[in-house]
Amino acid sequence: MNRISAGFISLLLALAVSLPSVYAQGAAADSSGSGRSLKLTLPVAADSVKFVSMGDTGTGSRQQHELAKVMLDYHAVFPFEFVILTGDNMYGSEKPEDFKRKFEDVYRPLLDKGVKFYASLGNHDEAIQRHYELFNMGGDEYYKFKKGDAAFFALNSNYMDKEQIEWMHKEMGSDNSRWKFVFMHHPPYSSGGKHGSLMSIRRVTEPLFLQHGINAVFTGHDHFYERIMPQQGIYYFVTGAGGRIRRGDIKRGSPLTAVGFDRDLSFMMVELAKDLLHFQVISRAGETVDSAALVRQTQQE
Amino acid sequence: MRYVAIFAVITFFSSVTPAQNAFTYEEQKLVKSFQKRTTDYANTRVKIERRLPKLPKAATIEQIAAHKSTLQAAIQKARANERPGKIFTPEAAAMIRRMIRREFTDTWDGSEIRASVLEAETQGAVVRINTPYPDSAELVEMSPTLLLSLPQLPKGLRYRFIGRSLVLMDRDNALIIDYMTNALP
Repeated sequence: MNRISAGFISLLLALAVSLPSVYAQGAAADSSGSGRSLKLTLPVAADSVKFVSMGDTGTGSRQQHELAKVMLDYHAVFPFEFVILTGDNMYGSEKPEDFKRKFEDVYRPLLDKGVKFYASLGNHDEAIQRHYELFNMGGDEYYKFKKGDAAFFALNSNYMDKEQIEWMHKEMGSDNSRWKFVFMHHPPYSSGGKHGSLMSIRRVTEPLFLQHGINAVFTGHDHFYERIMPQQGIYYFVTGAGGRIRRGDIKRGSPLTAVGFDRDLSFMMVELAKDLLHFQVISRAGETVDSAALVRQTQQE
Repeated sequence: MRYVAIFAVITFFSSVTPAQNAFTYEEQKLVKSFQKRTTDYANTRVKIERRLPKLPKAATIEQIAAHKSTLQAAIQKARANERPGKIFTPEAAAMIRRMIRREFTDTWDGSEIRASVLEAETQGAVVRINTPYPDSAELVEMSPTLLLSLPQLPKGLRYRFIGRSLVLMDRDNALIIDYMTNALP
């Protein structure tokens, strides 16, 4: 199956799985003790890779705390192992007390449950964040880690120089994982009114993503959630509503948008089950704003 | 000019890994001397850092912040008498202005770069040598295509825009090492 047909099948699957009737199929009992009714559309298989994507978190605001509480509730029924942060992990000053107030205090219950956070850098992040142990960057501004059958490439889209481009080429090219994901701050595709698609990033990264079989790209920068229509067979998500929201910023009628949500904070839960990528996006109010299963694309011969 | 632009686009898309742009014969000499000056700074910085306590692998955020400010103070002291224009000499600055202008006219990224730079929240950032870039200010993203068209810098040194000025910034201590004005066309 090539990228185009995989994209088409995924679109059909996504439309089917997005129907409200499916919620009943995956509804899970709330074992979090929050009293919140948790509706789960994910399979929650025993051996699957489970993670969360979100970005633009670093505010320390009440809203960010509230979203973290919803994440904690969902963790009880969907035990995600780690979170990928798509940048802007720290707005404003970056003193030690800021790391505590804008990150550790917010996610302490998840950290205590062993959830790991893997950060990428945004335009509000100093490079010294790469040394911060809880961001698991290993001292590097761009890096790779593996979970199960998936490889995750964290990029620094704020300063993508020749050295990083060569690293991408080498690391992505030599990796044979079933799934290959990129997460970074700036979106090559986005319908944001404030920022939107970053053409300079797209022009450099997209040929590499295509050549090396990247399946999905998670970004932030625009403060909302958007599932982009597959672009040349690659799935793109904007998950930049982890701490700030830019209400009404998704351009209505944008041909890029498959599903968009710009009314409140949100996070995206992902589960990899063999050749299917299941995901569910949850708002601060606990409602499901998008949910689908996407087929893994294979490299076009 | 049109043929140069077409050739540049074809070259760009035919190579999957974008390469550092080639410089003209006249530029090569200036690029070399500019890079020597940036390497001199990088070497000085390494020497200074070696004298400081090493940052542990599993450092706390307090240790990371302390290391940054100690390094900052040590470099500020060592470069107390530096004046602007030592790295961005007038000739080098003129060449870099030309390179940026060429990038703006020959590619489609000019308006995107200009918008990113001018909309960035860089309040509080003062364009002055040996001055730290405030940690609360946004770092303007640098277009990858623009970076590929400028002389490559040693690891740890960065080009950044502050308004229309282009600064050389040390990644790890946020100090402005040198700057040139009117860089943004």
